[in-house]
Amino acid sequence: MEEIQLLQSQALEEVAAATSTADLKETRIKFLGNKGLISGKLAEIGKYPGDKKAFGQAVNGAKGAVEAALSERESVLLSKERAAQFEAERIDVTMPGRPMRGGYEHVLQTTMNKVKRTLGGLGFEYRESPELEEFRYNFDALNYPPDHPAMDDQDTFYIDDNWLLRTQCTAIQGRVFESTKPPLRMFTVGRTYRNEAVDRTHSHTFHQVDCFMVDEGVSMAHLKGTLGAFARAMFGDEVKIRFRPDFFPFVEPGVDYAISTPKLFGGRWVELGGAGLIHPNILEAYGIDTERYSGFAFGLGVDRIPMMAYGIDDLRHFLENDLRFLEQFRGEPVA
Amino acid sequence: MKFPYAMLRDFVDTNLNAEQIGDLLTMAGFELEGIEEVDGDAVLDIKVVSNRGDGLSVFGLSREVLAKDLEAKPTALYTRAASRFADSTLAEHFQLESNAATVEAEECKRFAVRGVDSDRPLGNLASPEWMQKRLTQAGMRPISLLVDLTNYVMLELGQPLHAFDRDLLSEGRIVVRYAKPGEKLTTLNGEEHELAGQMMICDAAKPVGVPGVMGGLETEVNDNTTRLLLESANFLNLNVRKTRKQLGLSTEASYRFERSVDPEGVVAATRRFSELLVESVPDVRISNILDLYPRPPVLVPVKVRVQKASRLLGMEITLAQAEQYLSRLGMSVAVSGENELTVTPPSWRPDIVREEDLVEELGRVHGFDLIPERLPEGSTTLGGSKGVYRQADLVRESLVRSGFVQIIAHSLRDYSALDAPGERVAPRNPASPEHCVLRNSLLSCLGEAARRNGSRDLHLFEVGKVFSRSGAETSEVLHAAGLSVGALWPVNRKGDSVPTADFFSLKTALNELFVTLALGHAVELSVPSSLDERFHPTRQASVVLAGEPVGIIGQIHPEVADKEDLLAETVLFEINLESVFASGQPRIDQRSISRNPAVRRDLAVVVEKTVPFSALESAIKKGAGEVLEKHWLFDVYEGTGIEPGKHSLGIGLQFRKHGANFTDEEANQVRDAIVAELVSLGATLR
Repeated sequence: MEEIQLLQSQALEEVAAATSTADLKETRIKFLGNKGLISGKLAEIGKYPGDKKAFGQAVNGAKGAVEAALSERESVLLSKERAAQFEAERIDVTMPGRPMRGGYEHVLQTTMNKVKRTLGGLGFEYRESPELEEFRYNFDALNYPPDHPAMDDQDTFYIDDNWLLRTQCTAIQGRVFESTKPPLRMFTVGRTYRNEAVDRTHSHTFHQVDCFMVDEGVSMAHLKGTLGAFARAMFGDEVKIRFRPDFFPFVEPGVDYAISTPKLFGGRWVELGGAGLIHPNILEAYGIDTERYSGFAFGLGVDRIPMMAYGIDDLRHFLENDLRFLEQFRGEPVA
Repeated sequence: MKFPYAMLRDFVDTNLNAEQIGDLLTMAGFELEGIEEVDGDAVLDIKVVSNRGDGLSVFGLSREVLAKDLEAKPTALYTRAASRFADSTLAEHFQLESNAATVEAEECKRFAVRGVDSDRPLGNLASPEWMQKRLTQAGMRPISLLVDLTNYVMLELGQPLHAFDRDLLSEGRIVVRYAKPGEKLTTLNGEEHELAGQMMICDAAKPVGVPGVMGGLETEVNDNTTRLLLESANFLNLNVRKTRKQLGLSTEASYRFERSVDPEGVVAATRRFSELLVESVPDVRISNILDLYPRPPVLVPVKVRVQKASRLLGMEITLAQAEQYLSRLGMSVAVSGENELTVTPPSWRPDIVREEDLVEELGRVHGFDLIPERLPEGSTTLGGSKGVYRQADLVRESLVRSGFVQIIAHSLRDYSALDAPGERVAPRNPASPEHCVLRNSLLSCLGEAARRNGSRDLHLFEVGKVFSRSGAETSEVLHAAGLSVGALWPVNRKGDSVPTADFFSLKTALNELFVTLALGHAVELSVPSSLDERFHPTRQASVVLAGEPVGIIGQIHPEVADKEDLLAETVLFEINLESVFASGQPRIDQRSISRNPAVRRDLAVVVEKTVPFSALESAIKKGAGEVLEKHWLFDVYEGTGIEPGKHSLGIGLQFRKHGANFTDEEANQVRDAIVAELVSLGATLR
């Protein structure tokens, strides 16, 4: 029995002296392994001359005490060793990330996507119509008087007398009215062309939104409400809308609309595009009863949206595809 | 249109300052482009929209101010101008002969002349200083009393005038007629014009002026002029525009006529000119006014229902307000029913032809800023993109996920070695040689964008329209195209090995695109039946969807790469999205997932390189039947130990059953069946 006491204190000393979990593992095998100095004593129980039961209890007691000491010491050493290991594994999180390849959309595309989400959310259905358009849809169907200046060669690219590159996305309206009876709410986003010299603020190729609806009781107030909702989605909640009379052959009344927000240009009014109630001559030409129905339409330049939002100062950047320009707009701030 | 604020005050008694007038006009639809101070006075620059020619005079804009500013009062001058200076009391000293003016051309709507005689030369007199100052402020150069008077009256009233030296006119008379072949005219600016049938202002012998545009040099007033013939006329706006364009001229007069000039103002302007002239030179003798006005326009009344106007404008306007607004614009207004007005538009407003035009007038005067914001009510439609428009979104999204950067490039371009073959569509009036033809392939755009960005380590795509022609028929089709060259991703740790783009990396991106469109099962690449010369002849494939070719993929032809300044390892694809979208999509039915374990078997087979992998795949599928869960290529080897012309392919196979486990023996049987199929293609087990 005394021997067991002795072995127990010897084991506890060794446990206390261990400096690593590897040392502890050895100590465990030495005292508590199958043939360990303490657990091996159980095999001697039969030969023990004295109180066998007390002997057994003494061996198990010593085992338990050593086991407890071992686990306690092990958890201490283990956390020390972990800490040392973690320290050794420390990385510099400020070092650059491992490069991967990320694709992204063009800044005009993300703008168009936002326009589509917004107008789509307001119940307008997205449609497209040709860029290579017939004269009649681009002009005649939109109530242009014959020989209007916009029809000049200096303003419009002609393929021949009947075909041209559309000068406005509004050209979709006649095509829609031809095939769709009201009520309808539609919009398009697309490319338009005008015979203009290219400079910082002009291009012969640009992108437009055209949005229109025809239903019973459609008014200028609905136009203003829709434009307000649209502009606030594009430029933020503080946006205010202002109408001013203007003339476009395809609307009557016709207005241009401007927005103002403290976020842009110090709250100055900035013109965004033209709008109005669809000219009754157009609706009537497509057999739509103007006593029953009225409609509104508005248009704006897509390119102007990122120009305003990001302070882009040169229209030419958009179609030049310099990645140093494009990669600046991979993230899309929400208004 | 530029004018000093002081001139507006001649017509309107208002408390509004120049800036407030600018704001008022802006909100009335005559946008203030700027106010500048010239010679101590505020000068307003106002943009007048094309259907409002009546706004191209101080008098006309005064009318707008009076309509919107209810505090403002018309001055005596305004009242006189409104009554066309009918109160003019100048004595007429002599009578013009009845043939002093004749009109033979229909496009001349009105033509009035007045003679002025003087004992001393009139042409060398200068206009009063106040007039010179105002003209300078309005951006016109003072020249002489007679010329300045015509300009000043035009600025005031909007009516262009022209003064001839009557002694220089053959027989001292005017005929408005069409030019005869071979006739010529040198205009005031010194340019000589060959005429061909245009309506011209002529004397008894020759053309002396371009109607509504510019007078002739020869008959112009000069220092010695003592006898004057003053022309005030009105011409069809389309005619003025046509002639002006033909002769390449543009003047203040033509600008006004092209928009619209009040035909009723013709004589009024003559009267105003005369009284201002007499103020400066009291001893001139003036004639009667010979006024040829064969068909005064009939003013057609237009009805407006005030309720309808309120409904369309989305704001309430009362009958009384409507009556007041329209009257203040110079319209004659009568109540013709409950809530209905009958409005006769004035002669200077040819743009008022139907009810909606009056609705706009009511909105304009009441104030568009008072319109509230309301969202549309009524029948709601499902918004957003459907069908092919949604599919186009998916194409872009897929390529972005595959690591490609979208470009958006010009469709109007120069010719390029990357253009597709075939007839082209081009504008007949291109803006420049760099933008002379419409693209028929997106590859030239991608090539240009790659060059701009250094030609290497780039993965770009575009989705856009391309244009082609077959005889008279033009077509416009939506395409998608990609370009890939260099490292598939960048490296910044030495020792990381990064694969570079090649046919097969691009094929994966293309395949992903079809998978995104739910067409992954139906697409395959095959050796094209005819080669595309833009591509490497043995590294190009036709993209075939459900048996139909829809595009091309391959490595650039080295010679094209040279021409386009691109690397020879550049790979490209282009597909016709309209053909792709037209292909029927399958219904997606979920396959239940087996809970039984899979077994794997690997094969290494040696086979002639001419046997396409797709043939081996078909053989594998045929040999394995339903239990083949997937198969994949894991090794391609040729060289030592393999006969020349052959290669060794390592192929992984995975089998699985539903509801039962595979035994080793069963798996081996399936493998053997596959091997048997492969052997029939000439393959041997390695």
